[in-house]
Amino acid sequence: MKNKKIAIRFFTICEWKKEEEYLREEHKNGWKFEKLNFLCCYHFKRCEMEDVVYQLDYNVNVSDKNEYIKMFNDCGWEYIQDFFGYTYFRKPVSEMKNDTEEIFCDDESRFQMIKRVFKGRVIPLIIIFFFVILPQIFLQGNLNGKANHILFGIFIVMSVLYLFMFVWFFYNLYKYFKSSYK
Amino acid sequence: MNAHIKKVYIPMTETGFYILLCLMEENHGYNIVKKVEKLTEGEIIISPGTMYGSLAKMEKDNLIKFVREENKRKIYIITELGKQILDIELKRIKRLHKNISEVFYYEK
Repeated sequence: MKNKKIAIRFFTICEWKKEEEYLREEHKNGWKFEKLNFLCCYHFKRCEMEDVVYQLDYNVNVSDKNEYIKMFNDCGWEYIQDFFGYTYFRKPVSEMKNDTEEIFCDDESRFQMIKRVFKGRVIPLIIIFFFVILPQIFLQGNLNGKANHILFGIFIVMSVLYLFMFVWFFYNLYKYFKSSYK
Repeated sequence: MNAHIKKVYIPMTETGFYILLCLMEENHGYNIVKKVEKLTEGEIIISPGTMYGSLAKMEKDNLIKFVREENKRKIYIITELGKQILDIELKRIKRLHKNISEVFYYEK
């Protein structure tokens, strides 16, 4: 039987809850998450079937990484890896005092995390959209070369993708608030 | 005291309140988690992400200050400003408590 597997998954911004659920499900089925690389390849290793909670934090302002990880370790959360500003942790349900434990315990800190993702991930996209993509559409649209037409098409496609991403982010945000203030 | 600080910290979240209370003496994050768990008989277990964020924010806002590091754990203590905030919050909670007993007294 195979002892390792690699799965390719793509989670967009604001879908970290989905990603956490995915990793938890895999662990329940006996696949322990090993690492994630830049091509969105999730590496897993065979293990005992166990209910383990996975959690992601987004924190690029950590001044002392060792101290940060130490605090999570003290509280029983195992540090797995960093990935573009996200930090991955896990903790088996069997070690929890109540089985709904998470790395954040109040809405204030959950909201702070969303704010950090917004600042680190969404704002740069908004800037690129307004200062690169939109001006390029107007520029290329007004020029008549063949290359300009192709570039115009490419930027149109990109702007649609970006708009889709923004809508997706705010939709997820809305869903998140709805679920946390039930 | 600056109005912004007052707006952000009063009323305080339960987590914020316990953190400040525990920092009346020198303490590090994990010790505060354990202490709060004991004080509240297991009712409140502060999670590490919340603890880390709260300490960083309170340090930035000058409510607490860094004392030293031991075994990769940062030790903090409350500042004068932190004590003022805690005092306002204590008065507010005492008032709530007093009002609760008054209302229940009249109802009986």
